[in-house]
Amino acid sequence: MIGGVRDVPLSEDPASRYLPWTVGLLVFLATLALAVTLVLSAASDLWRQSLSGTLTVQIPPPVDGSDGEARVDAALELLRQTPGIGSAVRLSDEQIATLLEPWLGRQPESIDLPMPALIDVSVETGSVVDVGALSVRLTQVAPGASIDDHAAWLRRLSDFASVAVAVSLVVIGVILASAVSTVIFTTRTGLAIHRDIIELLHLIGAHDAYVARQFQSYAMRLSIFGALIGFTLAAAAVYALGEFGGRISGALLPDFTLAPVQWAYLAGVPVGATALVVITVGITVTRTLRKMM
Amino acid sequence: MNAVGDIVRFENVGMRYRLGAEILHDVNFALPAGSFHFLTGPSGAGKSSILRLMYLAHRPSRGSISMFGRDVSAVPRRELATMRRRIGVVFQDFRLLDHLSALDNVALPLRIAGARETQIRDHVAELLKWVGLEGQVDDRPSTLSGGEQQRVAIARAVISRPQILLADEPTGNVDDEIAVRLMHLLEELNKIGTTIVVATHNESLIERFKHPRYHIEDGVLTGPFVPERAAAGPAS
Repeated sequence: MIGGVRDVPLSEDPASRYLPWTVGLLVFLATLALAVTLVLSAASDLWRQSLSGTLTVQIPPPVDGSDGEARVDAALELLRQTPGIGSAVRLSDEQIATLLEPWLGRQPESIDLPMPALIDVSVETGSVVDVGALSVRLTQVAPGASIDDHAAWLRRLSDFASVAVAVSLVVIGVILASAVSTVIFTTRTGLAIHRDIIELLHLIGAHDAYVARQFQSYAMRLSIFGALIGFTLAAAAVYALGEFGGRISGALLPDFTLAPVQWAYLAGVPVGATALVVITVGITVTRTLRKMM
Repeated sequence: MNAVGDIVRFENVGMRYRLGAEILHDVNFALPAGSFHFLTGPSGAGKSSILRLMYLAHRPSRGSISMFGRDVSAVPRRELATMRRRIGVVFQDFRLLDHLSALDNVALPLRIAGARETQIRDHVAELLKWVGLEGQVDDRPSTLSGGEQQRVAIARAVISRPQILLADEPTGNVDDEIAVRLMHLLEELNKIGTTIVVATHNESLIERFKHPRYHIEDGVLTGPFVPERAAAGPAS
C-alpha cells in the first residue's frame, strides 16, 4: 500500500506527525542501551578471561634493610618449582609505572617511591593451585608476601556487569513500553478522527484487516524514516565513543569499539522497532474495530 | 422462512439507538429481488433508520432481518463485510472522501474487494462517463456541484454491481431536472436486475415514477401502496 491511494487521510492527523520522532527516540535510546549491554558483556568476558588462571604475588620492600632482591628471587624460584604453575614473571618498574599511570600520571623516570615487587603468575590450564598453602610457603622465603587470586575482584566485576546489563535491559524495556503506549495513543486518536471514513469503508465492504493495513502502511513509512534517523545518530555516538574511549589509556573504560557481529545486533534495533510499531498498530486497530458492527 | 426471491425481509423489527426510545416499531416487509420501491415519510419518521438496518450499519433491538436469505443476526462479523459488498448505498450526505478524486471515490469498492489497479481505472472511467462525469474524473468532490457529487455517489454505489441499491434522499440536494435524470439512472439499474429502494419525500417524483411505496410515520411502516400503473404490472 506504500505510495498507493490512501482511503484514510492519516497524513492530516496532528498526532501522527510525532510518530517518526517517537520511533527515532526509541531507536536512538534502545541502540545506545543495547550497545552498552554488548560492550559491558564483552568487557566482562574479556576481564574474566584475562584474570582467571592468573595470580599476582606482591612482595613489599623490606623495612629492616635486608636484601629485597634476594627475597624476590627466592619467591620466583619457589613459584616456578610449584606444580601447576606455568610461569612466574616479575613485572618491571616500567610495567608497574604503566599500571599506576591512571592514578599517578606519566612518570618521566622511575618512581621515587618504595614500590612492592609484583610477580605475574600463570596457572597451567586445568591445574588447581592451593593458594593458602602457597601463601604460607611464600611468606617463609619472602616475609610479608601476599597472593591475590582476583577472586574478590572477579566477583565484584561479575556483579557490576550483571547489574549494568540488567539496568540496560530495564531501560530498553521502559523505552519499548513508552513507545508502544505512544503508538497505541496515536493510533486510537487516528481511529477517532477518521471514524466516519472507517465506518464508510466498513459499509462498502472493507474487512478490519483492510482498514488496519491503511494504518499499518502509513505507520511503517513514518517508522522507517524515524528509525533510520535514530539509528544513524546512535551509531555515530557509539562509533565516537569507541574512537575517543580508545584513546584513554590504562583500561579505565571498557572498549567501545564494536565487532561486526555486534553492529549486526544493533542494526536489528530499527528493524525490530519498525516491526513493533506495525504490529502494535495492527492489533490496536483490529481490537478497536471489533467494537464496531 | 423467506419467501422465494425475497432479497430483504423484516419481521417484527424494533430499533432504538443505545438506550433511547424505540424509533421503529414492529416493522414487517419483504422486498422481492429486482423490485423498485419508494420509502416515504416525513423527516425523522424513521426512513434512514430502516435503510441503516438494511445496509447493516445497525442491529435491530428486536425482531429479525434477513438479507439475501440469511438471518443477519446469525451472520459472523467477518462475513458481514462480504454481505455488504452486495449492497450499494447512496447516502443522503453522499459521504464522498474529499481527499480522493472522483475516480478514486468510485474505485473504492473495487479496491476494497481486491480488484487489480489495471482494471479499476478503465472500469471506473467508463461508469463515470455513463453518469455524465467523464470530464471530472480527477476532480475532488469539493470542486463538484451537488448534482455531480450525487452522481459520483451513485457511481460508487453501483460500481461493484450490487444486488440491492439503497438510496437515501438521492434527490434532496439537486434541482428537479437532475432529480429526474437520477431517477432514470436508477431505473436503468433496476432494469438490469438491481433491487432498488429510494427513501424520499419528493412527492412529484413519486407521482411521476410509478413504483410501489412504503410509508413510515412515527416509526410505524405501512404499505406497500401500489400505484395504478405499477399495480397492473408484476410489482411486489
